[in-house]
Amino acid sequence: MIHTSIKLLLSGILVLLFATKGLLAQTISVTGEVKTPLTLTASDLQALERAELTAKDRDGKEHRYAGVLLTTVLRKAGVTLGGELRGENLSKYVIAKAGDGYEVLFSLAEVDAEFSGRTILVADSADGAPLAQGVGPFRLVIPNEKRPARWIRELKSLEIRFAK
Amino acid sequence: MRYFPLLIALLVFFSSFLVEKKGKLHPYKLEYPTSFGSRFTIPDDNPMTEEGVALGRMLFYEPLLSSTNTVACASCHKQANAFSDDRQLSIGVSGTPTRRNSMSLVNLLWVKNLFWDGRANGLENQAVFPLTHPDEMGQSLEASAKKLAKTRLYPPLFQEVFGTSVITGEQITKALAQFERTLISANSPYDRSLKGETTLSASEQRGRDLFMRGPAPERGVRGGNCAHCHGGAKLMQEVFHNNGLDSIAVADRGRQEITTDGLDNGRFRVVTLRNIALTAPYMHDGRFASFEQVLDHYNEHFHFSPNLSHELRTSHNEPTGQRLGLTSSEKKDIIAFLHTLTDSTFVTNPAFANPFRKH
Repeated sequence: MIHTSIKLLLSGILVLLFATKGLLAQTISVTGEVKTPLTLTASDLQALERAELTAKDRDGKEHRYAGVLLTTVLRKAGVTLGGELRGENLSKYVIAKAGDGYEVLFSLAEVDAEFSGRTILVADSADGAPLAQGVGPFRLVIPNEKRPARWIRELKSLEIRFAK
Repeated sequence: MRYFPLLIALLVFFSSFLVEKKGKLHPYKLEYPTSFGSRFTIPDDNPMTEEGVALGRMLFYEPLLSSTNTVACASCHKQANAFSDDRQLSIGVSGTPTRRNSMSLVNLLWVKNLFWDGRANGLENQAVFPLTHPDEMGQSLEASAKKLAKTRLYPPLFQEVFGTSVITGEQITKALAQFERTLISANSPYDRSLKGETTLSASEQRGRDLFMRGPAPERGVRGGNCAHCHGGAKLMQEVFHNNGLDSIAVADRGRQEITTDGLDNGRFRVVTLRNIALTAPYMHDGRFASFEQVLDHYNEHFHFSPNLSHELRTSHNEPTGQRLGLTSSEKKDIIAFLHTLTDSTFVTNPAFANPFRKH
């Protein structure tokens, strides 16, 4: 009996250690057609200009998400946004990749609020708490999309490419 | 100067041989359903040719590529088993079982990162592992190239395909990759039902619907949510998930061993379910012998590992359920559907069979 509870406790500690270690090690890389490739940690994201928004998740409920606007991250890497988003730069796109390998695509124009009026958040918290394991530490939140299939969990990388 | 026209004529004559020699290779035409899409890359330095594919097929069945001259790729990737084998773990030259279950080789044209843990990018790189692993074929590429060079059969074939008189290890992996890219399966009863050429039975149809749908008890929708990970035209996506086989993966950490990322603990490739009835036993360690055991795992007793696949964590058919909660008859229907994914034309296609076997 004692053995079982010690075992349970130990495995609980293991799980916790494992989870914390996993989360701390997480980064988002920004590569491709950028001036400065970036690898951002959770604290790097805290240091950037913060943003918040409310959006409906798959559960149909409104949640308050906090993080950094995707455009803030892309600007930091020197991606052609705003006034530079013209001519051939309109044939650029962003591949956002999750920890499990899942990938989704955005045209660069659609992610730029100045261009499309859309807002996309790189969220690191929901309703005041860090994102749960399996969801975070980083997740894309795209309000107003009717299906959340591009709200990728465990966001790991953003790659900007030219359509060729 | 008198001989100048003659010289030119001779040059033209001999150069025509060169051109002819190059022109002898026939580009291989890949055929696949448009629904599979063209999201694949064939390396520029290894274009597919009929001759290269034929050579790759011979090499796939060639035991000389092993240290004991007894094991070929096909030893653990048998056509009858959809290019997998029926063992929990495979046996190679050493007699020591391999670490993981032999993977089915199907529709690899569309796979970027191969193996259960995604460690190898591209089929050319992939082939090096089984060829050289001491418990698989156990022979260096250089030794394989030397053995083949000593045969009467291979030197002219390599000369024809690669245009050089020296056989190299790189050429061996290139030819194998060319053959493997042709292993396309798209003609199961399920595929034919999509084209309206056949009709699935009532049980198979119920199974298909459960397979394709995610559960939504609040709307009275029941589902297995299988297609969330195993869906799409190819019944495959290239993702790596922890499916709760262990509370924490210690003996085999899966993708974590490649990425060193804690979140990748116990994550393995989400395999294609094409021909899945032919590839038992199941999982990376072959721990489940039957469909029934696999369905019971997903439905009833997966571990809530910290990085358990989000879909497994959140798919419930009962409003207060923690797990999938399908009934036994629903599981039977899903199994009936899984059997419709067996492409008998793929596993009997003579183009993929052992070229050395006399019929």
